Amino acid sequence: MPRTALITGASRGIGRAVAKRPAADRLWLRRVVNALPGPVWTALPDGYIDFFNRRWCEYTGLFVDQACGRGWHTIIHPEDLPKLVARWRSIVASGEPGDMEARLRRFDGEYRWFLISANPMRDHAGQIVKWYAVSTDIDDRERAEEKLRRSEAFLAEAQILSRVGSFSWLVETDEIRWSEQLYRIFEFELGLPVTLDLIGSRVHPEDLPLMSDMIEKAHRGVSDFACEHRLLMPDHSVKYLHLIARGSRDNQGRKEYIGAIQDVTQRRLSEEALGRARSELAKVARVTSLGVLTASIAHEVNQPLSGIVTNASTCLRMLSADPPNVDGARETARRTIRDGNRASDVITRLRTLYSKKDLVSESMDLNEAAREVTSLSLGDLQRNRVILRHELAEDLPPVSGDRVQLQQVILNLVRNASDAMSAVDDRPRELLIRTERDEGDRVRLSVKDAGAGFKPEATERLFEAFYTTKSDGMGIGLSIGRSIIEAHHGRLWATANHGPEGAFGATFSFSIPSRRESVADVEAPANQTDPATGAAA
Amino acid sequence: MTSTQERIAIHRSLVAVVDDDESVRESLPDLLKEFGFATSTFSSAEVFLASDCLHETRCLILDVGMPGMTGPELQQELIRRRQNIPIIFITADRDKTICARLLEQGAVGCLFKPFSDTALLEALNAALRVS
Repeated sequence: MPRTALITGASRGIGRAVAKRPAADRLWLRRVVNALPGPVWTALPDGYIDFFNRRWCEYTGLFVDQACGRGWHTIIHPEDLPKLVARWRSIVASGEPGDMEARLRRFDGEYRWFLISANPMRDHAGQIVKWYAVSTDIDDRERAEEKLRRSEAFLAEAQILSRVGSFSWLVETDEIRWSEQLYRIFEFELGLPVTLDLIGSRVHPEDLPLMSDMIEKAHRGVSDFACEHRLLMPDHSVKYLHLIARGSRDNQGRKEYIGAIQDVTQRRLSEEALGRARSELAKVARVTSLGVLTASIAHEVNQPLSGIVTNASTCLRMLSADPPNVDGARETARRTIRDGNRASDVITRLRTLYSKKDLVSESMDLNEAAREVTSLSLGDLQRNRVILRHELAEDLPPVSGDRVQLQQVILNLVRNASDAMSAVDDRPRELLIRTERDEGDRVRLSVKDAGAGFKPEATERLFEAFYTTKSDGMGIGLSIGRSIIEAHHGRLWATANHGPEGAFGATFSFSIPSRRESVADVEAPANQTDPATGAAA
Repeated sequence: MTSTQERIAIHRSLVAVVDDDESVRESLPDLLKEFGFATSTFSSAEVFLASDCLHETRCLILDVGMPGMTGPELQQELIRRRQNIPIIFITADRDKTICARLLEQGAVGCLFKPFSDTALLEALNAALRVS
């Protein structure tokens, strides 16, 4: 130790610094410093540390005289020591207050991070007479920061690996924050201020309606939303994104959405390939089943036709014989009539596949049935980039009917509407499902699309079996749909949309009696003829 | 063989009809009688095989699709038994590939229901020439 005179005790150190003070003052000051709850030390103007308080000694397990001079070096973490010594020298040289950080060894051997703040004390002339330093245990904060750095690094890595970016969006001010990965997904320069306009410049033009729909939802304050949309990149490649967002309030109570966006391009491309394969398969299956259907119809009808032709031939031969066999001819003519009726029975059987006697009648909520159908077809609708809207009347009375068959009709109308808009690119592909009370205690459901619509003269042909405008359609859907609705004592019809807001597309509606009316109706004769269509119900 | 002799041969011939469809079993014998044939009808292949007519039959009018033993199966069974009865198949299914296969297997004719009386008579004439 270079300053042997000072190593004997703290009282000496303090004594040297405040030599001109009375002994009572010195003793009092030492008591104060010792009473401080944190580790404190003092140093001479040249930086020589000459006193450590009781709390410091308790923490390190050193005695004051062991620690003075360079003795304290032994409890500094070896990695931190050179930096700490250099920093302390520079603080002393500057004569200004300064902070240092280092790990200090506790009496039990554990190192903890400390923030050491040193302050000079000056005399009247401004000369430094003493340094006082307070150490603060910042180990917990240091660990928390380290943990945060690690989890941020983990998150960033996970976002890269999973192609997920996250964002926050303050709706009122349109303040949007993106994670780094989101910048990568959108291929914008990191740190570029994010605005809705900037995002819009990347969104696929055909999907801009989806984006404005989402913004409108957010301003309306829906709790959370999800959507799939595409980006059109500068190199004309297309990315598919899946977005989910959850509404919350920020610390100032403003509406904020926190969300994640996943780049699902790879998945979508393989799904599309799968979808194409599946629809090809379905087409084959439909053609096959149609082939099977026509073959069985042909078989059923050809049997009695064969009898008719044979009997009629025999009849002619008997009549042209000499003498004519009138009794035989009468018998074969009678058989001809019977076989003719048999053929007609076959046709009737086909027609009654969806007849009233097959209906399973139950009380049902048409709103619920419609919601079930749309939730089932949501994936298809999103794939076709159809914006689905519901306007379901809350006070809708229940109807009586076959749930499965009515849902088939709704599904068929929804699919038709979606298909009708598959070529629409210059306007939103909006599909509206509406339920409402209809006159005469009836309930009406309508499906409105923004597709190509149809010419007035085609209105009735739409419902003919095997009439179709679709390349992959069989044309049976609407005619079967009408049979089902008519079996429910209802009506299915189509109208072309009019007016400035709905100048495009068509609306298909059906109207069926609500439960009370239809209960009374069930007792009516089963095979009555519908005066509107002239067809048997 | 002169045409007179041919007609006599036809008039003596027994034509068997095997079809599960009742209207065929009712109507066809009358027409065959008008042609001058003797006829016998059977509602299934099994009943025909068990009958006494098997050895007398000069021509068989056979439905393709039947419950139990089908027409083509009866054809195979007759080949196995070396019963050389000319067969005219009749079918309500307009499937040309099945028809072609049956003709390959030795059938004399294959008629789609409904068939005309002249088409049937032509096939019968062809069948009796074979036998």
